[in-house]
Amino acid sequence: MGAGAPVTILSTRAVTIIGFAVVIAAMFVLEYIARRPGSRVPTVGQWLGYLMRPRIGRVLILLGWWWLGWHYFAR
Amino acid sequence: MATDDVPHGRGRAGRSGFPLWPGRQSGRFRTALTGVVLVGYAWAAGATAPFSTVSLVCVLVPGVVLAAIAYWWPPERIQPPDKLDITGVSYWAIAVAALFEWEASAFRDSSLPWHPSLTDLINPLLGPHIVKSAAILVWMLVGWALVRR
Repeated sequence: MGAGAPVTILSTRAVTIIGFAVVIAAMFVLEYIARRPGSRVPTVGQWLGYLMRPRIGRVLILLGWWWLGWHYFAR
Repeated sequence: MATDDVPHGRGRAGRSGFPLWPGRQSGRFRTALTGVVLVGYAWAAGATAPFSTVSLVCVLVPGVVLAAIAYWWPPERIQPPDKLDITGVSYWAIAVAALFEWEASAFRDSSLPWHPSLTDLINPLLGPHIVKSAAILVWMLVGWALVRR
C-alpha cells in the first residue's frame, strides 16, 4: 500500500472549542431572529421573564446569575 | 441606561415653586453618577486576586445589594409575556441543552488540554485587568436587568 493523501486530523480540543462556538453563535442567531417583527421565537429577556414570574423561578435565576459571578470572578 | 425608567421625582418643586432641577438633567446626572460608581467598582473588583477573600466580597456585595433591591425596593418591572410560543421556546431549549451537554461532557472527561470546559476557555481571557473589569460590569448590568424582569 502506498501513502495516501495527507489527512488533517482535527484535535479533540479544536472539536470541543468549535462545539462551544457553534452553540453560542446559535444563541446569538436566535436572539437576532427573536428581535425581528412578528417572530414566534421569544427573546432571552422574554423567556427569562416568563421563568421569573413565580417567586421560586425569580430566586433560582438570580442565584444562577450570582453563581456565574462567583465562578468566574471570585475563583 | 437601565436606570432610565426608574421614577426619580422629576420636576420636584423647590420653596419658590420652581423645579429644583430640570427633570431630564437630574435623570442624566443620576445615570452618569450610577455609571461612574459601577465602572469604578468593576475596575476595583477586577484588580482583586482570584481565590482571595476580597474577590469573594467583591462578588458578594452586588449580589446582596441586588437581592435587597429586589426584595425591599423592587423597581418597576417589565411585564413578562403571558404565554410563550412552544415552538419558539423549543429552539432556545435545544440551544441551552446543547450548551449544558457540551459543558458536562468536557467536565466529565476532565482532561484540560483535550476537552476544555467553557470555564477553562474563558478564564485565560479574563486575565487582563480591563477585560475582567468589563466582564464584571456586564455581569452587574445583567443582574440589574434580571431584577427588573
